[in-house]
Amino acid sequence: MSKQKYEIPTINKIDFAMASKYGSPVKSQKIRTEIDGVKISELTEKFGSPIFVFSQKQIEEKYHTLHNAFSSRYPDVTFGWSYKTNYLNEICKIYHDLGSVAEVVSEFEYQKARALGVEGKDIIFNGPYKPKADLKIAVEEGAKIHVDNLFEINDLEEIAEELGIKIPVAIRINMDTGIYPQWSRFGFNFENGDALDAVERMYAGGKLYLTGIHSHIGTFMLDANAYRLATMKIMQLKERVERKFNAEIAYIDLGGGFASKSNLKGIYQSAEVVVPTADDYAEAITNAIYEFNKSENLPKLYLETGRHLIDEAGYLLTSVWGHKRFPDGKKGYILDAGVNLLYTSTWYNFNIELDKRYEGDNEASMLNGPLCMNIDIIEENLMLPPLDRGSVLTISPVGAYNYTQAMQFIRYKPAVVLIDKEGTPRVIKEVDDLATINYKEV
Amino acid sequence: MDRYNNLLFNILKPYSAILFLNNKFAGLVMLCITFLNPSVALSGIAAVVFTILFAEFLKLQEIYLSQGFYIYNSLLVGMGIGYIFHPSLISIALIAISSAFTFMFSFMLNRLFSVYKIPILSLPFSIVTMFLYLASLKYSGLLSTLVNNATSFDIEIPLLLSGFFKSFGMIFFLPSNIAGILIFLLVLYHSRHIAIMAVVGYYFGILVHSYLIGSFDIALHDAYAFNYILVAIALCGIFLLPTIRNFILALIGVAISVVLTDAIAILFNYYAIPVFTIPFNLTVIVFIFILSITYYKEFNLHIKSTPEESLSSYLSEIFRFGELYAKVSLPFSGEWVVYQGEDGEWTHKGKYRYAYDFVQKKDEKNYQNEGLYAQDYYCFGASVLAPVSGYVVDIRQDLVDNIIGEVDRVNNWGNYIIIKSDLGFFVEISHLMQYSIGVNIGDYVKVNAVIAKCGNSGYSPEPHIHIQVQDIGVIGGFTREFAFSEYIQGNELIFNSKLAKDDLVSAVVHDRSISSRLLFILDDQFLYDIYKDNEKIATEKFIVKMNSYGEFYFQDKSSNKLYFYNDLQQFYFYKYEGKESYLKNLFILLPRIPFINKAGVFYVDYLPAYLVKSKLETMFIELFSIFNKNLYKVSKRYYLKKKSVVSHEGEVHFEVQKKGFKLIKYNNIELRRVS
Repeated sequence: MSKQKYEIPTINKIDFAMASKYGSPVKSQKIRTEIDGVKISELTEKFGSPIFVFSQKQIEEKYHTLHNAFSSRYPDVTFGWSYKTNYLNEICKIYHDLGSVAEVVSEFEYQKARALGVEGKDIIFNGPYKPKADLKIAVEEGAKIHVDNLFEINDLEEIAEELGIKIPVAIRINMDTGIYPQWSRFGFNFENGDALDAVERMYAGGKLYLTGIHSHIGTFMLDANAYRLATMKIMQLKERVERKFNAEIAYIDLGGGFASKSNLKGIYQSAEVVVPTADDYAEAITNAIYEFNKSENLPKLYLETGRHLIDEAGYLLTSVWGHKRFPDGKKGYILDAGVNLLYTSTWYNFNIELDKRYEGDNEASMLNGPLCMNIDIIEENLMLPPLDRGSVLTISPVGAYNYTQAMQFIRYKPAVVLIDKEGTPRVIKEVDDLATINYKEV
Repeated sequence: MDRYNNLLFNILKPYSAILFLNNKFAGLVMLCITFLNPSVALSGIAAVVFTILFAEFLKLQEIYLSQGFYIYNSLLVGMGIGYIFHPSLISIALIAISSAFTFMFSFMLNRLFSVYKIPILSLPFSIVTMFLYLASLKYSGLLSTLVNNATSFDIEIPLLLSGFFKSFGMIFFLPSNIAGILIFLLVLYHSRHIAIMAVVGYYFGILVHSYLIGSFDIALHDAYAFNYILVAIALCGIFLLPTIRNFILALIGVAISVVLTDAIAILFNYYAIPVFTIPFNLTVIVFIFILSITYYKEFNLHIKSTPEESLSSYLSEIFRFGELYAKVSLPFSGEWVVYQGEDGEWTHKGKYRYAYDFVQKKDEKNYQNEGLYAQDYYCFGASVLAPVSGYVVDIRQDLVDNIIGEVDRVNNWGNYIIIKSDLGFFVEISHLMQYSIGVNIGDYVKVNAVIAKCGNSGYSPEPHIHIQVQDIGVIGGFTREFAFSEYIQGNELIFNSKLAKDDLVSAVVHDRSISSRLLFILDDQFLYDIYKDNEKIATEKFIVKMNSYGEFYFQDKSSNKLYFYNDLQQFYFYKYEGKESYLKNLFILLPRIPFINKAGVFYVDYLPAYLVKSKLETMFIELFSIFNKNLYKVSKRYYLKKKSVVSHEGEVHFEVQKKGFKLIKYNNIELRRVS
């Protein structure tokens, strides 16, 4: 008989109401031993820790599910990959290969898309800040310009003058869809008539003409019906513009904001329960187009979903460096990844899984990152069994925004691994080093 | 002019209807044949005229015009009078009286019988004639002719043949083998099937009869043997489809009618009344009554002008649109697996055997991680889509989703929705997620609409969708057989089929823009330039029209007609009338258009034989498909591309933003849309 391992005794309050056939939360452990058939241990041993891991298979599955939900109901749908959600080159390439155009919101993202070989006509240029010089390049290259404010109309008219052409543009509008907070910062308001005024202003100038209408009503939208209202208002504006200015609005763009299966803080049901499905979003939008279309032709439909498509395909693997017991009795773990890599931990409760089954009862534990900052807390109270140095935790979903918003702060930005469809992992971004950080410093 | 044409047709129709045909030329020939016995012929005409006059007098024109049997019963009564009495003022008076009565009696019987969906056949004739013959015993002014017109027009042929033809003639009160031969030829010309059943019925009846009475000769001489002929035709070809099973039923029917004929003859002879068609009526009505209320599968629901036509329309329908049970769409989108099918191993048993359970799988597994939580199951939380268009009649959504492995034994069905389909049946979907139902009782939902989420409530050890079809809108109702109207398996789009356990299927969601591009409206016109080997040779125009039955069709310049239907689930062509034409080829190139937006799948469709085979071949196919349904199967594969359908025969391209077909292409012919 082998010698039993010593466990430090702990005191737990046992809540019988939560006990189930599978035991109490004191016993249950969430375990993930692999991603797409690749062992967690193999990933950290081979590529180090912490590390971001993306699954191409899951990216493609999710893309096809959402695309099918729309394309089966509507004849002309194109997705635009939202660069800001995740602009790692290899990730963008996957989406472009699947048929996505690029949706960019800055000159940097625009250049990135061009560098990846995306043609101007396949780039949607959004956002409140478009430097004039870069705007001019985008116009020359035939990009779809989505106008955000009146200053931009002036800029575009000057560019039209300089180039001696009439520029086709789309307009970004905002509206009340019953959602709080209402995103009224971007584009022109629909209800107060700003949007129609802006179009009038464009046609009065005689240098621009409208070919598209765009809106983006919010983020992590848990009510598919808001999209129905948004689509309805876009279609109403489309009809007014077409009638008044004899225009032909070739496309409408519903933006993004579709929720992923993340668990929003403050919501206690599982994502499967509260998050609308692809069918919900698709039905809300396409039904509204059919219902409110007054023109002979159906408009082309663009969507710029980011989070919904990639969030669940991204994982962060992090290792336990040490643990201690705080004066209040709580167990504390020091991990090699913290809020510097998990920007979204402010809003979402992550799914945190163990690499194997551990002996011992669960106890309330706090997960802290490596930063020498009091705020570096990933989870304040998580029921975990006793872990040791080297135990690996898989944190998900982290595919959306976490990498692009990850800070180079205190530590180097980690490497990123992509597991391709054959189940082979490969590095798509190396870990930073001093040279990366010192580059450009003078 | 139309009205007189109609009138003429209505005088001739009953003559052909007696032989189960619907053709005025056959009627005209029959009328001529009756002149072999002028007394029968004139009395018959008198009866038809009196009936029409009487119906006009009552202003019931519409009714007698639409229903042939009101007149043919009178016609039979009239010929019956002419058969035994010389034409005289008294006999004419008798015809007038009996015509009025027969018309009303037919009307009444039909109203009563139609409750049970059974035909009145010539029952009114049998009963009215019975009374007439009884009454005539008192009318000394009538001169019976029975004795002298017995065999006045016979030719010398063996009794074995002569008996058959005489019986055939007797149907028209012309017990002469010449009349029989003529009528038989007429029938043979119109329907080989009726002719064959006449021969089979007659000789089988004679065989049974001779066995029972012990004499072949007496059986052949029996004046009422024509009942066997009528029974055989009615039971295998007219009211029941011409199939092997019905062939056997017809023989059983004939045997029954033999006994009935003898029994009734003994009773009637006592009062000197002829038996006529009573055995036929009795036998057939009993058969139809029982088969109709038990939803017999080989019942002929749409009686066409000949058994061959009935069979080919029936086969076309079941091959193309499936057996006659309820059809529903899959209640989800995407790819799912049948976990338990019809007659399943766990719960789909007995009265509940027609049901399906579906789950989603990835890499052969229904769940990720260890499958300890409902959220780990791939289908948990997936959208449930309405499988039919209809009203929501009942819902429940307060039950919690079970912990994996546990079941709710009290509320077996869990959270559920019951929808009453527009077509009358009820669809029940179970084990839905708690509070996920997005519709209310009384809401109208369209097929494919999102209505709930897949859950794990009720008797459900793990998340899945259960679907069944019921006759009543109450939870726990017994299940009824049904099929799925459309789904994709592999690369094939399959229509109206059932699924088996472990089948992997992809659901089909409809693209409304496709159906709206095929919503053709009366007088829509489509102009085409015709190119042969890339050289313009002609122009053609298709116009949308509607006939008096409400059927829509395209008509070309030469008045060929191609009938179509758009049932909002699919668009299809189902009938073609006319000669070789571009329209006929359009039917072959594109027999149906599913409303799905998915390039790269193919589907199989079955074309009616007359569309692709020669007349003679069609005749043989129609006759022999009685023995083997598959003879009628002319299947073709159609590949769905983006905005076109391609087959071995050619291709058809659609307009993207407009109604209609942009390009029709086959062999070296191209129809290019002009406007």
